[in-house]
Amino acid sequence: MKPVLFAVQDLHVQEGNFQLRDICFTLEESQYLVILGPTGCGKSMLLETLAGLRYPKGGGIFLRGKEITSLAPEARRFGFAYQDSLLFPFLNVKDNILFAARSHKNRLESSIKKRADELTEAMRITHLLDRYPQFLSGGEKQRVSLARALLSKPPLLLLDEPLSSLDQQIRSSIKELLRTIHNKEELGIIHVTHDFNEALQLGTHLLVMDQGRILQQGKVEDVFFRPSSKYLADFFMGENILQGRIEWRDGQAWFRQADSLAEFGPLKKKKIPDKYPDEVALLIHAGDLSLSKANGYEESKANSWYGLIERVVNFSTHLEVVCSGNGKYKAVLSNNEWKELNLQNGSRVKISVDVDDLHILPN
Amino acid sequence: MALEQNNRTTFKNNSRSLLIGCFWLLFVFLILFILLLIGGLLNYANWETVKTVLRQKEFHFALTFTLWTSVLATGLSALFALPTAYVLSRYKIPGKAFVDTLLDIPIVLPPLVSGIALLILFGPVLGDFLTAMGLDIVFSSSGVVIAQWFIATPYAVRIMKQAFDGIDPRMENIARTLGYTPGNVFGKVTLPLAKNGIINGLIMTWTRTIGEFGATAMLAGITRMKTETLSVAIFLNMSMGDLKFAISTAIVMLLVALVSLVGLKLFLKQEVRF
Repeated sequence: MKPVLFAVQDLHVQEGNFQLRDICFTLEESQYLVILGPTGCGKSMLLETLAGLRYPKGGGIFLRGKEITSLAPEARRFGFAYQDSLLFPFLNVKDNILFAARSHKNRLESSIKKRADELTEAMRITHLLDRYPQFLSGGEKQRVSLARALLSKPPLLLLDEPLSSLDQQIRSSIKELLRTIHNKEELGIIHVTHDFNEALQLGTHLLVMDQGRILQQGKVEDVFFRPSSKYLADFFMGENILQGRIEWRDGQAWFRQADSLAEFGPLKKKKIPDKYPDEVALLIHAGDLSLSKANGYEESKANSWYGLIERVVNFSTHLEVVCSGNGKYKAVLSNNEWKELNLQNGSRVKISVDVDDLHILPN
Repeated sequence: MALEQNNRTTFKNNSRSLLIGCFWLLFVFLILFILLLIGGLLNYANWETVKTVLRQKEFHFALTFTLWTSVLATGLSALFALPTAYVLSRYKIPGKAFVDTLLDIPIVLPPLVSGIALLILFGPVLGDFLTAMGLDIVFSSSGVVIAQWFIATPYAVRIMKQAFDGIDPRMENIARTLGYTPGNVFGKVTLPLAKNGIINGLIMTWTRTIGEFGATAMLAGITRMKTETLSVAIFLNMSMGDLKFAISTAIVMLLVALVSLVGLKLFLKQEVRF
């Protein structure tokens, strides 16, 4: 376990009628934490509080064990980048990058110049140094903004939706850049976004927020693939969420769907909440569903059933197959898997799921 | 059906063209009217008389007096307007709507009324105290500066506030995270970002102070070669029937306004906005 870089304890922030409450999390050295939540849930407000730009009503913020709650942002010196870059229009790219170095001294040390050179090379913006921000593209602006934030080697980089205003292609290149920064600079990153694909692709850890509170946090795969509630599964656009109840037979727990005969189980006991309510939801990720050709007419068994292929959506990297049968199910197949199955719209298929991939969620 | 839709589209296009046509007509009318006004004044002037007037002592006094009082009043306006505009733009203060309206009063009130209010304040209300302090405001050159400052400052506040409003506060946030104290942020980020708006405000304030008459006349009086600004000079000579002097002075004022506004536009390379 790496040492803790940054910790937040019971943070309480108020802005008008909106409140951030009971915010607690820790960030280990070199962790990449993604804070995910819908628009207006308080993510940016939290990020500004962490940077010292807002003063909390309660709670504490710690950097390497030292309390910094009342420290001014200029003393914290965390790197900060907003979604729209916000470069200073009256300075060229070079002076924007060197802006942090000029906060105390006008003459630049050679180490700073060397650092600036390294950053501009890493960000691939060396050819833009004399240009003014209004003559840069969105992606170039974001690269300059990141270089500016990183110049003074901050221990923590705070990113407020850094990819939101970029088009798809530029977004991929900036994502790659963020991965490189994270590996090379060995700094902690807190990245705020409403896009869970960004969270999956970039984060090592994930914190989900809504209405000023933390809903769940942990390693990205734990949170994303095992959400703690149906609300979160819906938020992550969980593909197959079934409503039903848990039934006990011979000491084994089974999930029975509300409006069909399909049943799933026996469920692993550790996957069932201690105080499970009568009504629960079952989440099956699209990638966990298997499709195979249906041979004749067999009766549906636990964890497998029959359906018809209703729609196939082709993405460049995979296919999404929507099947009907005891409701609608979405499965994800690779192009090769789909070719091997040799199926088409209207084909009858056997749909099955491994018992390990059943996730029971409280409603 | 298609024909009906076609007719409707044609009707929409026609009414749009009619509207734009009206806009152009009113626009051209306004520009012609202003050109006619200036042309009339220039045409009416006798250039020989203008040259003679330009050499007169009284004119020299009025011009110099107007320049120094207006520059001083503009400086004072900037001193008050810059922080006031920043506070109004950036902070949530109780009764903001009231404060905002209060600042509009000198714009809304006729300058004569403002002048009477200033006369009462610096006369019966504070007069004795100020005299004891060695300050003579009423019927003095100080009175001219104060009247010009009072009338022009709200304009400066309005224009400068607009400049500060146009700055994304997150720009200032970024500077804080890059190691700048709030004071440094104001100097290194806010002011450069608001530069054009501030210069715009200063020039507008200055042109307003040059033309100020009503409040100045009430507070500082209309005394030849003492509190005689260019506007006062025009009034004095018009009332005494010296139309030539009045018109010559008016032409000089017109040129000052034109040169300063054109200079501003060239400097900022943008439209002068209120």
